[in-house]
Amino acid sequence: MAPPGRNDQRRLAIERRLAPRQGGDSGTGAVTDVSLRVWREVADTLAPMIGVGGVEAIFKRSLQLTTPSWPWLAPAGAPAEDEDPLASCQARLKVRSPAEAAEANVILLVSFTDLLVTMIGASLTDRLLGQIWALPISAPSEETRP
Amino acid sequence: MNQSVSINQLATGVPGLDAILGGGLPEFSFNLIVGPPGVGKTTLAHQLMFALATPERRALYFTVLGEPPLKMLRYQQQFTFFDVAKVNDTLRFVNLADEVASGRFDQVLARMVKEVEAFSPGLVFVDSFRSLLGESKTDALEQISPQAFIQHLGVHLSSWQATTFLIGEDPSQTEIHPVFTVADGLLDLRQSTYRNSMVRKIQVVKLRGQATSPGIHTFRIGGGGIEIFPAAAVPGGASPAPAAAAGPMARLAMGVPGLDAMLGGGLPSGYSLLVAGPSGSGKTVLATAFLAEGVRLGEPGVIVAFEQAPAQSWPRTIDGFVRAGQIGLINTRLLDLSIDEIVQRLIELIHRMRATRVVIDSLSGFELAVAPTFREDFRESLFRMVSVLSALGVTVLMTSELEDRYTDLRFSPYGSAFLTDAIIVQRYVELQGRLKRVMAVVKVRGSAHSDELRFYEITGEGILLGAPVTGYEGLLSGRPKPAQEPQR
Repeated sequence: MAPPGRNDQRRLAIERRLAPRQGGDSGTGAVTDVSLRVWREVADTLAPMIGVGGVEAIFKRSLQLTTPSWPWLAPAGAPAEDEDPLASCQARLKVRSPAEAAEANVILLVSFTDLLVTMIGASLTDRLLGQIWALPISAPSEETRP
Repeated sequence: MNQSVSINQLATGVPGLDAILGGGLPEFSFNLIVGPPGVGKTTLAHQLMFALATPERRALYFTVLGEPPLKMLRYQQQFTFFDVAKVNDTLRFVNLADEVASGRFDQVLARMVKEVEAFSPGLVFVDSFRSLLGESKTDALEQISPQAFIQHLGVHLSSWQATTFLIGEDPSQTEIHPVFTVADGLLDLRQSTYRNSMVRKIQVVKLRGQATSPGIHTFRIGGGGIEIFPAAAVPGGASPAPAAAAGPMARLAMGVPGLDAMLGGGLPSGYSLLVAGPSGSGKTVLATAFLAEGVRLGEPGVIVAFEQAPAQSWPRTIDGFVRAGQIGLINTRLLDLSIDEIVQRLIELIHRMRATRVVIDSLSGFELAVAPTFREDFRESLFRMVSVLSALGVTVLMTSELEDRYTDLRFSPYGSAFLTDAIIVQRYVELQGRLKRVMAVVKVRGSAHSDELRFYEITGEGILLGAPVTGYEGLLSGRPKPAQEPQR
């Protein structure tokens, strides 16, 4: 069997990082708390480099790409000017089941990193974000392998 | 005791840049990289950063509004110098868009100071200061003026014990910005478009305390980033011309039986030879023989070819030598070359091959390949090129297409005849209803040579010199007639 590709590795790592701790609270609130924390780490890592606006733009785009399959992820109306899109998204997830909330976050975060990969490449994406989901960053990525 | 400060020079890693900077970049200098959009400022800055940044000398790259950082990272990664492994540890990108958007320049500066203090970089880049200035003008919130901000920034940059770079478009010519005065170095990048060719140029307008290479140099952006071709400087001073050297001249065999004798014993080493003749007269065949003889004698050669399809127009021998790596080849069909670029590549190849024989085939093709903007200076550049090659000690054979004119005797359309040390001219003459080829050695500087006109033929083996042309006069008029007093 072929070893898992870089994209699969990244997806598995993201799933692991978002999974609620074993034996802990497994309600929707716990899921969205963990997710929001991870999203904040991602934003804090990227914002110094590409600006808060840059992070928000990619997040909104990944949200847009995900909503056809998950319509309830879409914001209800026009966002308030000072709205934090990360927090308001998790607020929308709070009313779903824990499984749905967890899966939606994985899909969103995978979509977010995939977007980043298409823009700045897998190597740099994993270099920047790999440590958040403890992805071994030394492994060569399949996209850059000659 | 000499207590003057010694300035450490950093090797920039950008091919050709250290040469025009006068050795390298002074450590802790404050530099400006200016030029219009698309000229390669950001690329130059990244190339410098990736080359210079080490774990001991880290780099901080501030991006302002100019180019969206995502785009910048995307496109800069296309260059081979972009080393992802250096990002975040050895070098860090910091985006200032949010601070700049607030219009508070004191905050922008505070953020920069904070980042510099936290990361203690040895290299700081700000890309770009023009967008800093542009952004501010509409905003009433600013606490300090953009001019004052740049001034403050300059002062900070100088005091950080870091080598710093401000990247920006050229502020309008009318307003001489104070930052130009504060800067230690100023690199001006330009691109000039003339007819359908575009040429990039760089000038070191200023670099304190260093003997920079004056003038405008061309550069090209390729997969490896920027490559600068320093303008070939004519070696000055009293370097003795080969002809003036004392003692018997070393001579190179031409590979055409009989031709060495016509040249007075071969082509003097280090000479430049112009082979001029009309189309089909066998100039390339002669050049091939010259290179092939070099291969036979263990004197490696290099050929610069400007032919449309060299593999077809060359005799098979030279193609074989090139394939076998016995002859170096620069074959270009680019039409936006600068002569300096060719000279630079040629010099590299000469060093790599340890070549002593160089063929340029042909000057006519060369002129076509050179960007139109350089054609006006073609003759002057040719002079520089011949001087540089002669300083390297290589022996050069250049071919030149020459329209057969029967009213005058010309050797080259560029007036380049005087540039060369030796000239061989080939002509067609009509004799008894047949078109015959004749060849003569017109000049060999500082050496005796034959004054004969010799028939020659081109065979599968190359050039076959025939008998001297005797018994005719008016050969060069194209209409020879039997001489009044035929020789015996």
